[in-house]
Amino acid sequence: MPTPDPTLTPDAPEPPLSDALARGVRWRAVMLLIAMALLLVGSALYLMWARGAFEQTQPLYLSTDDSDGVLVGMDMTFAGFPIGRVRRIELVGSGTVRIQVDVPVRDAHWLRSSSVFTLERGLVGAARLRAFTGVPDDPPLAAGAERVVLRGDVAAEIPKMMSDVRDVLQNVARLTASDGALGQTLGELQAFSARLNTGQGGLVAALTGNAADARRVGELLARSNQLLQRVDALVARADRQVLGKDGLLADSHEAVRQLGGLLQEARQSVQKVDAVLKDVQAVASNARGATDGLGDLRADVESSLRKIDALIAELNRKWPFAPRQQELSLP
Amino acid sequence: MTGAGLLGGWLLGAARGLLGALAGWWLVLFTGAQLAVLAFSPSSYRAQAGAGVLREIERAAAPGLPGFTVLMALFNVVVIRIVVVTAFAYGLEPYTLDAVVRVLVLELIPLVAALYVAVDYSIPGGSQLFKWRRAGGLEALRAQGADPLAREVLPRVLGGVLAVCLMAAVSCVISLVLTYVAVHGFTLAALPRYNRAVGQIFNPAVTLIFGLKTGLFALAVALLPVANALRDIPRKRARTSVELQGLVQMFVLMLLIEMAALVGNYY
Repeated sequence: MPTPDPTLTPDAPEPPLSDALARGVRWRAVMLLIAMALLLVGSALYLMWARGAFEQTQPLYLSTDDSDGVLVGMDMTFAGFPIGRVRRIELVGSGTVRIQVDVPVRDAHWLRSSSVFTLERGLVGAARLRAFTGVPDDPPLAAGAERVVLRGDVAAEIPKMMSDVRDVLQNVARLTASDGALGQTLGELQAFSARLNTGQGGLVAALTGNAADARRVGELLARSNQLLQRVDALVARADRQVLGKDGLLADSHEAVRQLGGLLQEARQSVQKVDAVLKDVQAVASNARGATDGLGDLRADVESSLRKIDALIAELNRKWPFAPRQQELSLP
Repeated sequence: MTGAGLLGGWLLGAARGLLGALAGWWLVLFTGAQLAVLAFSPSSYRAQAGAGVLREIERAAAPGLPGFTVLMALFNVVVIRIVVVTAFAYGLEPYTLDAVVRVLVLELIPLVAALYVAVDYSIPGGSQLFKWRRAGGLEALRAQGADPLAREVLPRVLGGVLAVCLMAAVSCVISLVLTYVAVHGFTLAALPRYNRAVGQIFNPAVTLIFGLKTGLFALAVALLPVANALRDIPRKRARTSVELQGLVQMFVLMLLIEMAALVGNYY
């Protein structure tokens, strides 16, 4: 049983207010109620307006075979500006998806009959529904038109890429497996290095495969060494014969000197021949000059004859007993 | 004492505790149902009862509203700035608005408003009511022929509910305005895009869950301290005061509401 607290009055938890105060309190409370009602109604109307409840729209139906990422309420953009909102997504016959997009009538002129619609999904973020209009002069898109959505999906490329990567990894695994090509090669290399380390024949035995061959290679090397010593002696002898005091080279020097003298004499002979030729050239020149003098002489004779001819003609003309025949025969 | 006796005593104590907790929640539910009936009854708003309702509404909302609004505006500016800068740094600008509105408006503001009203009004009011009841106030009112629930309890619950709703609504509007200014600056050019984004976030399901959550927060904050004031807590178990017990109950209930809202929004 609770014990009553003597400090509190049982009538009311608080003392009553005066009339003036009560009126002020009532007025403020009513104002608060009105403010709250206005806020709630205003918020509701704003949200409805923001969601396009008061907009006049026309439907556009987009069909695709996969609507993954498409949500009711998401935007359809044109050049980055939202011009439509997905209203409904439904499966229709033949398993295709039909997306109803409500396009505000005031924005519908951006869409033409030749417009293309795409659904793109990136690695990050939501899917994007976009419209492209290539020819703005085409007739406007009719209300209720149905178009096919072209899909561009980055995420869809990932399984293909993963499949390729898996192939590559399988190839690598096959290469590096114990019975793979790389493993076998390493095994061979290991066997080769083991043969190198056996000490019986060393590298040669490892190369040839058995110790007998390695021995033969050793003998071959020894004989090659002997051959080289003999060749060395041979070269020394040849050196003496060619480059020695009475060697081939000294004789050659003498022959070259004699050849130089011979050439000197030949040059002198050629100079003499040259002088003779000069004389001959002078004789020929004189002969040409004499020939030119003969021409002048002939011209003088011809001139004298013409003068004699003219003199006889004059005599005949002047001599009364001159024969009729006036021809003169020249010797 | 044998081990079996100890175990039996512990089980008995646990069962009593469970029954006591269930009884407490039942009292809360029962009181809530009675108050709901009274709230929808016109006689509760006539004459002296109506004046009491208005007085409690004014006491619950008017003194705290300016301070809470200013504090929330400052808090909003800080959170918005953090989210905006982080989103820009990571190249996630398109998601800034969405993140800010979801974090602030949908989640934080209703919670903070409810806690503010609880600390500022409901819990002190519940304590006052508890003391008044222990002083024999209920019997005195009944002796005068008045219904104590309609006269003293209903106005406090209605005042608390309305205060939470009003403070949440005012802060949400201010938060939306501040978000616009923080993201786009002092220009009206981005208003259509902003309106569209806000419209997209507040789809019917999210709006319904937001409204229900705020209303349930308000009910929890307004009802629990009052309902706890109307019952006697056994001395042995009362390690804490009635205010703290009401606060703990309120936190538990708000946590459950918040979880349910998160599940509804994001699953």
